[in-house]
Amino acid sequence: MSVRRAPKTHKPAVRSGMASSGAAVYGMAACRDEWFNLESDMASLVNFTDIGIDEIFSTGDDTSPLLMLIWILPIILFVFYGQRIQLYVTSGEIKKAIGKLDGYRKETREELIGYVRQNMNPKDDPTGRIDRFLEYFTIMPVDMDPAGIVDKVRHTVRSREDRIREQVRMIAPDASDLELSKAQTLIEIATSLQMIYRIVNHMFLTAKKQNNYPLILPLQMILPFIMEHASAMREAVPAFKAGQPIGDGIGPMVVGRMMLECEKKEAAFQTVMARTEYEGRKLILLKSKGPDSTVGRPAEALEDIASKEEIDMIIMVDAALKMEGEESASVAHGFGAAIGGIGVERFQIEAVATGSDIPVMSIVVKQSVTEAITLMTGEIAGSADGVRSQVYEMVLENTKPGQTVLVIGVGNTAGVIQ
Amino acid sequence: MIHKERKITGEYTVEGCPSCGAAETRKYAPGDVLFGTAKKCPSCGGTMRIEKIYGETITY
Repeated sequence: MSVRRAPKTHKPAVRSGMASSGAAVYGMAACRDEWFNLESDMASLVNFTDIGIDEIFSTGDDTSPLLMLIWILPIILFVFYGQRIQLYVTSGEIKKAIGKLDGYRKETREELIGYVRQNMNPKDDPTGRIDRFLEYFTIMPVDMDPAGIVDKVRHTVRSREDRIREQVRMIAPDASDLELSKAQTLIEIATSLQMIYRIVNHMFLTAKKQNNYPLILPLQMILPFIMEHASAMREAVPAFKAGQPIGDGIGPMVVGRMMLECEKKEAAFQTVMARTEYEGRKLILLKSKGPDSTVGRPAEALEDIASKEEIDMIIMVDAALKMEGEESASVAHGFGAAIGGIGVERFQIEAVATGSDIPVMSIVVKQSVTEAITLMTGEIAGSADGVRSQVYEMVLENTKPGQTVLVIGVGNTAGVIQ
Repeated sequence: MIHKERKITGEYTVEGCPSCGAAETRKYAPGDVLFGTAKKCPSCGGTMRIEKIYGETITY
């Protein structure tokens, strides 16, 4: 055994000719064989060009240390730095989205300022005041004690709306109500985009600062939805500037068509009503006042009407967000108050309906969030006649002659008169 | 992230005659509002009304 070990552990000595003296002692033939074996062993260790695919991937039985390193190193790397690597990969994607959001908010701000300058004849430069609007925030009432929270929310939201309307009027005292309503809607869009950009940017920078991957996960998950909404808002700007009807205006479009030949009167702030008859039933038609960009105050109007006369049924026509896979402009019937927003209007309508035991039925036209706030599509516009027929059918099927039905067209009535 | 862009490629106004039912589609013009009065009906001479305003879109 010592014969075999000596040359292996003292390789340079063997190579420098010490083997010849060894051969004299132990025998030339044995030494030569040993030397030959040793040299071929060394060659296979040193010459990496001889490594075959089988050896690299260890398809044979032998386990290569090199292979072990190749597998183990990434595992160690991912165990200790996995989250950080994911953070870097995700960061690129989110940075792009933030860049887009930044572009959206800047474009919208510019368009708003341009609109006010060109169409509202401001008495001085509106930029400073508009920039202040964009910084406005709303603090919702405390809800630890929920009693009376709806009134508080309504007060806060209405105060905000009224205040902004007054401020816009101060910028351009000669502007018409139509221009004023358009500018107010554009301010809402610009403010929302500003807020979205700030929140997304804040979440991203916080995660980066803390090197905290879990913190960025919720943002990564929700970002496609945020981008869809932000993109829809950006696309909505041209329609509101031009005063065109939007997808959400399908309710006012249906009811506006029904009240075309009737005498109209104001029922509440930015809300009009008309009376007509259908097959012996009295119809009270209610919608926001067009062609202004407004949703009106249908709940206040309903409260007022219900306090003066008996209503046997309420039918609400509105746009509704479609689910993925559902057809755009498909129509559905349902029960309950179909009205969006923060919930204040719906609460008020439900309270009146419950107090007077009035059944509430709804007809909705389904559409995507983008379709709802951009120029009405041909499919949605084409559904209006069908929806109007369905309103009449619903009246016939659910009421008797002599009864009174209130039909409310819910939604933004931009570009839709009555 | 999958996010499709949507673009409005054309804006149209449909005018209809309440008297004879004639209808005509033209390019949207600034100032058009739904149910607003439009030009004289070429068929019966009555006043036409804007029945629809809509946009054609593509998604890419």
